[in-house]
Amino acid sequence: MAVIPTHRSARNGFELLSALTSRDLRLRYQGSIFGWAWSLIRPLALGAVLSFALGTVLQTGITASFLLTGLFPWFWFQGSIQGATTTFVGNGGLLKKVRFPRAVLPLSIVLGSTLQFALALPVLAAFLILDGYDPEPMWLVGVPLLFIVQLLLTCGVALFISTATVFFRDLEHITEVLLTLLFYSTPIIYSADHLPERYEWVIRINPLAPVMEGWRAVLLEGELPGASFGIAVALTGVAVALGWWTFRRLEDAFADVV
Amino acid sequence: MSSEVTTSAEAALSLRGVSRRYRFLEPGQELKTTLLHPLRAWRRRKGKPFSAVRGVTLDIFPGEFFAIVGANGSGKSTLLRLMAGLSRPSSGTVVARGRISTLLELGSGFHPQVSGRENAILNGLLMGRTRAEMEAQLPRIIEFAGLQQFIDQPMRTYSSGMYVRLGFAIAAFLEPEILLVDEVLAVGDAVFQERCYEHIEGLRDRGVTVVMVSHDLAAVQRFATRAALMERGRIVMVGEPADVLDEHLGRLAKSSPEIMRALDEAMEEQREAIEDLIGRSPEARARFERALERNPEFLRKMEEQQRAQAEAGERHE
Repeated sequence: MAVIPTHRSARNGFELLSALTSRDLRLRYQGSIFGWAWSLIRPLALGAVLSFALGTVLQTGITASFLLTGLFPWFWFQGSIQGATTTFVGNGGLLKKVRFPRAVLPLSIVLGSTLQFALALPVLAAFLILDGYDPEPMWLVGVPLLFIVQLLLTCGVALFISTATVFFRDLEHITEVLLTLLFYSTPIIYSADHLPERYEWVIRINPLAPVMEGWRAVLLEGELPGASFGIAVALTGVAVALGWWTFRRLEDAFADVV
Repeated sequence: MSSEVTTSAEAALSLRGVSRRYRFLEPGQELKTTLLHPLRAWRRRKGKPFSAVRGVTLDIFPGEFFAIVGANGSGKSTLLRLMAGLSRPSSGTVVARGRISTLLELGSGFHPQVSGRENAILNGLLMGRTRAEMEAQLPRIIEFAGLQQFIDQPMRTYSSGMYVRLGFAIAAFLEPEILLVDEVLAVGDAVFQERCYEHIEGLRDRGVTVVMVSHDLAAVQRFATRAALMERGRIVMVGEPADVLDEHLGRLAKSSPEIMRALDEAMEEQREAIEDLIGRSPEARARFERALERNPEFLRKMEEQQRAQAEAGERHE
């Protein structure tokens, strides 16, 4: 047992989180000419390639707007998880030598990716409007709702994965494979209706699927996400609880393992 | 939980029966082995236990400059990490009363690509201060570290001396109530070391508790108000620094085969410190010589070593 005071204020926690986030973002784009624009270029480029392949060549009727409404939120999620995986392992020196609220490490990665997404949203909206979609009043309700749910879901998963990777280094590579798998088993480059019935369970157990469908419902149809979104909210709760519980249980052993 | 042990209410740091066990990792803990040879992995799951710190009970009071000495691997640094709350005791209790600053390693948490100023602020935030507090302290930190011209340069351009100076200045100016220092000052030059010790003395006079792990026996002699000697995870003696150092040197010289082995390794590192100490204080020299007389075996071994060195030197020429 150890009783060691920490003297943390909420203010300190917030300042620490934002200082780490801004440092990481600046370092990521330091010395690159396009800088922040890279967070737009990657989903836009993938969207262009896919809309050519699926829309123009294969004539599936999938449009650029359809793809981009899926790709932008996906890059947010993927960037967060990919970055969070190694954050504890990569900051071993810090964990061993300084006592601080360790959750700020993965959370700052998620926050950085979230900021990039938030700045990309207006670009996405502009693209949709140029493509002939009218801005809907529903956007004002639906976008914040989906934003919060996806943010919480991402935080939960990021906490879990970053903690587990400390004890199970293979997870760094497993996560990479799983993210590719998840990309194709989530309705991002297709719609859930395209899925044959016998594979429907795949998206039923995938908490990200209703979120992605939700983004489309809100941005493209101007509707609130469907009933399946309730499942996403519930699974998000589970992810947050599981992530936090795992982290709290294991964080004391970090300094001895990394 | 705390009802089972009584800790001293006045102590800044109270340790009661603190132990820390590690398990040696053995090969075959990877996922591959776990999946392919589950039985083997299960048997090896625990590894051999090793106690780095055993049953340490200790009270350190506000305003003390407490030094911990001992041979390499005696558990000093592990004990310091337990005090800092960076590692949990396997058994026993650690209670700290007061705001802790640690200086455990050079530039822990410094990012080489960002400036000294930004690193200093982030370091303070990590240790629990607010940005406003850090910005208010920064001029003094920069001044003490002597980095006026360099503070806005990325830290990859710093020398190791500049790293330590900034690290020490941050830890020291955060107004800790308890300051834990591991063997880091050795990197700075003599002038800076002197300023550090002066600053630590100033902190001590203001009632700050300082715990320092050190091989710099001369510094322990000069500054510590109390000292402890560690040997193989246990505290074997606590008392006046002079007495503890006496015992430390005496034990180093004792002719048991185990100590001799540790001595061969430790001696090399300690030699300079010991020679320095002997050079500085005639009293210490007398004590050292007394210790040598008590242990003819050690004396013989030392002479042998010197002879071997001299011969090697001659052959070299």
